Amino acid sequence: MRKWHILLTASMFFALLLTASSALAQTYFFSLDEMTVNVFWNEDGTSSIDYVFVFTNDPSASPIEYVDVGLPNSNFDRGSIFADVDGQPITNISSSDFQGLGGSGVAVGLGALAIQPGETGTVHVFIGTQRDVLYEDDIDSDYASAVFIPNYFGSQYVDGSTDTCVIYHLPPGVAPDEPRWHTAPTGFPSEPETGLDEEGRVAYMWCNPQASGSLGYTFGASFPNKYVPSSAIFTPSLLETLGVNVDDLIGMCFCGFFILFIAGIIWLSVRSTKRRKLRYLSPKIAIEGHGIKRGLTAVEAALLLEQPMDKILTMILFSTIKKNAAQVTKQDPLELEVTDPLPEGMHAYEIKFLEAFKKTKRSSQRKALQTMMVDLVKSVSKKMKGFSRRETVAYYRDIVTRAWAQVEGAETPQVKSEKYDEVMEWTMLDKDYDQRTRDVFRTGPVFVPIWYPRYNPSFPRTSTGAPSTSGAPSSRGGSVSLPHLPGSDFAASVVGGVQTMSAGVVGSLTDFTGGITQKTNPPPVRTSSGRSSFGGGGGGCACACACAGCACACAGGGR
Amino acid sequence: MFDWIKSSFSEINSKISGLTPPSPGLFHYERKSIGERSRVHLRIDPDGSGLLMVNASRVMHLNPTAAYMSYMALEEFPQDQAIRSITKRYNVETDQAYSDYAQITENLVQLTRPDGACPIHDLNLEITPPFSTRPSAPYRMDLALTYRCNNDCAHCYNGRPRDYPELSTEQWKRILDHVWSLGIPHVVFTGGEPTLRSDLPELIAHAEQNGQITGINTNARRLSDTSFVRQLVDAGLDHIQITVESHLHEVHDKMMRAKGAWIQTVAGLENSLDSPLFVMTNSTMLRDNSPHLAETLDFLTTLGVPTIGLNALIYSGHGLTVGSGLRENELQPLLNLARQHTQANNQRLIWYTPTQYCNFDPMQLELGVKGCTAALYNMCIEPDGGVIPCQSYYEQVGNILTDPWDSIWNHGLSTSLRDRKYVPDKCVNCALLPECGGGCPLMLQKPYLDIDQID
Repeated sequence: MRKWHILLTASMFFALLLTASSALAQTYFFSLDEMTVNVFWNEDGTSSIDYVFVFTNDPSASPIEYVDVGLPNSNFDRGSIFADVDGQPITNISSSDFQGLGGSGVAVGLGALAIQPGETGTVHVFIGTQRDVLYEDDIDSDYASAVFIPNYFGSQYVDGSTDTCVIYHLPPGVAPDEPRWHTAPTGFPSEPETGLDEEGRVAYMWCNPQASGSLGYTFGASFPNKYVPSSAIFTPSLLETLGVNVDDLIGMCFCGFFILFIAGIIWLSVRSTKRRKLRYLSPKIAIEGHGIKRGLTAVEAALLLEQPMDKILTMILFSTIKKNAAQVTKQDPLELEVTDPLPEGMHAYEIKFLEAFKKTKRSSQRKALQTMMVDLVKSVSKKMKGFSRRETVAYYRDIVTRAWAQVEGAETPQVKSEKYDEVMEWTMLDKDYDQRTRDVFRTGPVFVPIWYPRYNPSFPRTSTGAPSTSGAPSSRGGSVSLPHLPGSDFAASVVGGVQTMSAGVVGSLTDFTGGITQKTNPPPVRTSSGRSSFGGGGGGCACACACAGCACACAGGGR
Repeated sequence: MFDWIKSSFSEINSKISGLTPPSPGLFHYERKSIGERSRVHLRIDPDGSGLLMVNASRVMHLNPTAAYMSYMALEEFPQDQAIRSITKRYNVETDQAYSDYAQITENLVQLTRPDGACPIHDLNLEITPPFSTRPSAPYRMDLALTYRCNNDCAHCYNGRPRDYPELSTEQWKRILDHVWSLGIPHVVFTGGEPTLRSDLPELIAHAEQNGQITGINTNARRLSDTSFVRQLVDAGLDHIQITVESHLHEVHDKMMRAKGAWIQTVAGLENSLDSPLFVMTNSTMLRDNSPHLAETLDFLTTLGVPTIGLNALIYSGHGLTVGSGLRENELQPLLNLARQHTQANNQRLIWYTPTQYCNFDPMQLELGVKGCTAALYNMCIEPDGGVIPCQSYYEQVGNILTDPWDSIWNHGLSTSLRDRKYVPDKCVNCALLPECGGGCPLMLQKPYLDIDQID
């Protein structure tokens, strides 16, 4: 096949410009993994364009709800446009919603098929009829020039490279040795792959696996104009041929009319403004950092969820008992016998909690518990540095919800008991914890957990301290038997722990809590120097330096 | 011509609607109250989204709606006028606009205070993953005015000859203006030793006049002259980072390979601390000085240094051959000590060096997320106008005076650093990779260092 390689710079100014910028805006951030565009230059002088975009949405970004596809002008058939996402058709295709920077185009609304954060989706858009796309080749007037710039997106939204392929299908009848390709854009092979498509049409293919999804690449080819109607080809005017800048000329003429039409322009502007209001997305301020702080214990999460102090102390009590680090010897007022030596895997707050209960004087015990809580608050605060409180709170609330769902969804008393034992500390974070506990155990027996006798000194124990058994079947099909209680008794006993803690240990909850918050949440102290803190990681909160997006990163020492 | 007409239409529309939407660019505000001062920069990008930077340290990203609202709030437009503008610009009910605008305004009050509420803890801002932002330009541009230096550090990362060609004062002013037009609010004069340029105060004043926050990285020997410090202060300099390697003058001078340097540096540090400048020190922890780190920290505390910076050896220039760098897994006890010391003395500790977190994880010590930010949040302009990805990465991606910004910012090296193409295969599946980024690319480029220096 004869290959011509002709630079047709001039023709590009008159040629088809399928420039587009995305209407994707706001908090969008994604990679455009692949873009394949088939451009069919039809025998009637129109073009058909077939796009396949493969997007991977960033986990932190908003869902991709709209994709704007720019078109060279408004002379396209709206009814000829079809789109789908992952093969599922989309009907919300609107030219009036197009918000790209280019002059014309369509907005493809993905609706329920929006590509969610972290997900990948393939968007297919087919534009059947686009008119006024061919221009006279400025080097050879017997040729038509077809230039095309595929869709591209704002660089602030697109990450990484895009495996891009653009395939030209020239009009039927064009012989392989007739057409000429234009200079390839940077990054693409200087010569396209050539061949015949399934319909026998000459096809050019330009591919670059490392292209940018945010750059407008210009592709072009010219072919003999006899294969398309002459009326479909735009011919430059004499002035343009002579090199006179048409814009300037129009501008000069236009100035003469400008004053005459100014009133009309203002009126049109007002109308235009009213019609073209922007889509409103809630204002969002984002900062780089970490999202959810995972791995907090239920007790630590309780602080984050601002649970009352007596409940948190009760949770610690249960956690020490479950670990076999202590047993209750007297419930009211609460007295504990601490295991010696302590088992492994104790948290610092559990150890301090038990230390406090070794004190005999109630005031000393209370003070030690306050100190323990102060340390716990500081520890949680430290763990939360750089993490999103909002997202973390939502995460732990979800754990609470799921914990209750497991317990309430259990179909047998034994499974219910087992589930409750597994997730009890998380269920306690529910604000309706006491009522839900009573409700869930209102009917039927409870197969009491193994630690329960250590919590309830009146419950019969074996000589080894383990609970007595009464032959209940095991849900796991084994031979283990478990003791049981009427559910309402068990619920009352567990829920009553908080009241016992509150009345017998904490005393006045307000005073107890006040003694803690005075030390953990002091009123803000202003700086006295009047200096700002520049370039070194922010202001009063250490979080500022836990964020990556601050200018203190790698500021250059080492000289 | 048509562009002009379009602009005219836009202005007419805006006047009818209310407020003119902010043009893309950088807007500068100053907030003062008793005991506090903030320099606030709002960068509006062409797509309408924004970047809010407070005192060149806290960076927040705004979607177009938030950017528009922030602009109106920072410009202190009357609330009713702002709401009218919002409802005319967007398809939104007035009540919703009021509510959102009030929230944005309230957040801005806190965010623009140096000691305001924590954006993560208290304001519940949206969190995006570390290093996920792709800005249109860096937040900070380092300006290496000269590679001349009155010290000769054995470990210096400078990889250029000391007589490297230098630009004129007027050329640097053009660069400062250009950098401002790119939306970069923070410039740091460095080198070499920037105080050896007699036009330093003039350049600082020019940048400050633009609205830029200015800093210098210096050995402070020239600052032993109080009148020079006064010149810098009068020029408007905001912050200063002084290299102090040891409390022992013999150790410091030996590392600097300059006898008498320590005395001048400490005098310069004291003069700076006596000025209204925001002062911090920086020390490179090497085998020479790290055994005395505790004493050095005590010394700096005694002098009243409020912020202490530490970094490890940078594998560039002399750093490649000095042989006194610490292994990454030797850093933890030193940083732990520094953290305890600074906490006990109410100082701020800043750790700079990107490391491989499997060797040293700064997050475990609550030193923040530290990864390579070259050609992302910061870049550097060399004395000849060449742009390099960071102060220590001596491979130019263009010249700021002659090349379009787009070709510099999107140069293959710039994008490959931003996209972390340098990450070694062993790191690809590591859960810590988003924060760690594989460590400093300069170190990864030097495989022959594996034996002695890199874990």
